[in-house]
Amino acid sequence: MTPLHALIIDDSEIDRYILSRQLKQIGIDSIIEKDDGLSGLNYLDESQVSGDRLESEFPPSIIFLDINMPHVDGFEFLEQFESLREKSNLSSCVVMMYSSSERQEDKDRAYAYEFVRDFIVKGEASAEDIADKLKSLH
Amino acid sequence: MKISRKLMIIVALTIFEVSLVLFTLFEILQGARFHQLNASHLKYIVSFSEQVRQIQADKPINTLVLRKTMYDIREQPIECLKQITAVEKFIMRRIGTYNAIELCEKDIADANNGLALIDSYVDERINRKSFVMQLDILSGIFKQNSIDFELPIVRTVEFIVNLMVPIVIVLSITIVMFIVYLSRNITTSIKDVISLLSREQSDKALDDTISKNVTGELRELLISAKLRVKKEAIKTEVNRQLEALVSQRTESLTKANQELAEFAYRLSHDLKSPLTSSKGLARFVIQDIDDNHLHEARRNSQQIVTQMEKLEQLLSRVLSLTNEKLQTEEASFIDFDEVFDTIRRENQEVLRAHDCLLVCETHVQHALRSGRQSLILILGHLVSNSAKYSDPDKMCRSVKVAVFERECDYHIDIIDNGRGIPENRIPEVFLMFKRFHPNVGSGAGLGLATVKKYVGYLGGRIKFDTSADGTTFTIVLPKGDVM
Repeated sequence: MTPLHALIIDDSEIDRYILSRQLKQIGIDSIIEKDDGLSGLNYLDESQVSGDRLESEFPPSIIFLDINMPHVDGFEFLEQFESLREKSNLSSCVVMMYSSSERQEDKDRAYAYEFVRDFIVKGEASAEDIADKLKSLH
Repeated sequence: MKISRKLMIIVALTIFEVSLVLFTLFEILQGARFHQLNASHLKYIVSFSEQVRQIQADKPINTLVLRKTMYDIREQPIECLKQITAVEKFIMRRIGTYNAIELCEKDIADANNGLALIDSYVDERINRKSFVMQLDILSGIFKQNSIDFELPIVRTVEFIVNLMVPIVIVLSITIVMFIVYLSRNITTSIKDVISLLSREQSDKALDDTISKNVTGELRELLISAKLRVKKEAIKTEVNRQLEALVSQRTESLTKANQELAEFAYRLSHDLKSPLTSSKGLARFVIQDIDDNHLHEARRNSQQIVTQMEKLEQLLSRVLSLTNEKLQTEEASFIDFDEVFDTIRRENQEVLRAHDCLLVCETHVQHALRSGRQSLILILGHLVSNSAKYSDPDKMCRSVKVAVFERECDYHIDIIDNGRGIPENRIPEVFLMFKRFHPNVGSGAGLGLATVKKYVGYLGGRIKFDTSADGTTFTIVLPKGDVM
């Protein structure tokens, strides 16, 4: 099985730590963390020089995306990522929302993008749950 | 003259004309009736003459038949006198035809003489020869009376017709001309009024114009119409203002509702976030203790404490947003030195932690009267923000609070040389849960929203200017009572 590369975009350092540790528990060690949508987009944009980008870990197979973030929030990220995905040949890269929001309108808005595959509510998914969701993607 | 008076004249003239026409018709009918009565009278006279002729030819005398014929002959003049009116008598006297009435009276007297003659014959006071001779004379008298009666009646009717017809014609023409005149008069008056109303002029000028140029019912009509229009205009304006007020209130309520929904969403998110994180971290702590990774367990426990402090701070900030005590705070004269001491004391830790210097200046002659606690809360938030978001690259980090008394108000400037607010976030500065430097400090994003709210409670306003060199907030407070 091809090793998964994960990108976590979340402004909360603790939430990134929790998710990152859960991913490591299920065997995903290739994890990049970004603290808002803008730095996430910069990392994904091939035309941008990204110092922390290892070609072996790029592009990420899965992006865990928070919604409420400063500068560029989760929805603004999705909008810009839609065009970036085509431009930079990132079609293999899919998104899994990772938010504390349980609002249906947030879920509907996220699922409007075909590359958004799941919606994890923070605190409700164990490492095993996340592993199952990732398995169902491939 | 009023229109109603003019119309009344037309009505009176028309009634008079109709009366004349009806009178003329009545008199023509009267003439015809008198002719008819005279024709019946003549028929009985002829019958009487025949009876006399038969008696003269030695036929037997039937006094009963003679008496009845005499009664019949007397009946028409009696009827004629009953029918004739006082007006007709007056006219007949004036035009010399009154002899028709005298003829009727004479006919009655002659008939009475005839009845007396019959009585004399029956009583044998006169003989047959004398009786027959006197009956023949009477028959001739009756015939002559009947012939003489026709002419005055014809002349009377002719006189009335000849007099009334021209009067009726003249009257009709007069009425028609008067109606035409009145119609033109009314049309012209209405056109004049329309022209007056079409002119662009003030309300008072219009009143003057109406009182000078319009009279009668049109003036009353215009005054009534004006009052009605004014009432309608007031009603329309009141309705419009009410609708605008309802629309404004609805918009305001909708906005408040949206803000409340957003507030609830953000609050639940920000309350839930540290709890969720703490729950996740607590699970790791258990795992780390089981795996004997005590260092990691300690680090995560410390993170849980931080999250709980964050939660506590958030709750405290939210409570300060709705602090009813401050919202209804009594105004008092502000001793700025005392206020600055309080702010310095309450923010000494954050100022020290960020090595930020607080400078306070007061340039007032008269003490400001305002809410002391609210002012401390406002300035405390701004000073604390200036310290938290001070620029570490600058050699000397500072925040200066300066109060200036102006002619009509007080200005309080809070000037720092910190990081400034990102240009693209300027519209969000006073919104709740907005943080512009997420990697710096641990605020809830409620400070500036709270500041704006409390400046509003004090009846003031707040503005700011920001750049990479720092930010200046200016609070303008009204100058009410001064000391």
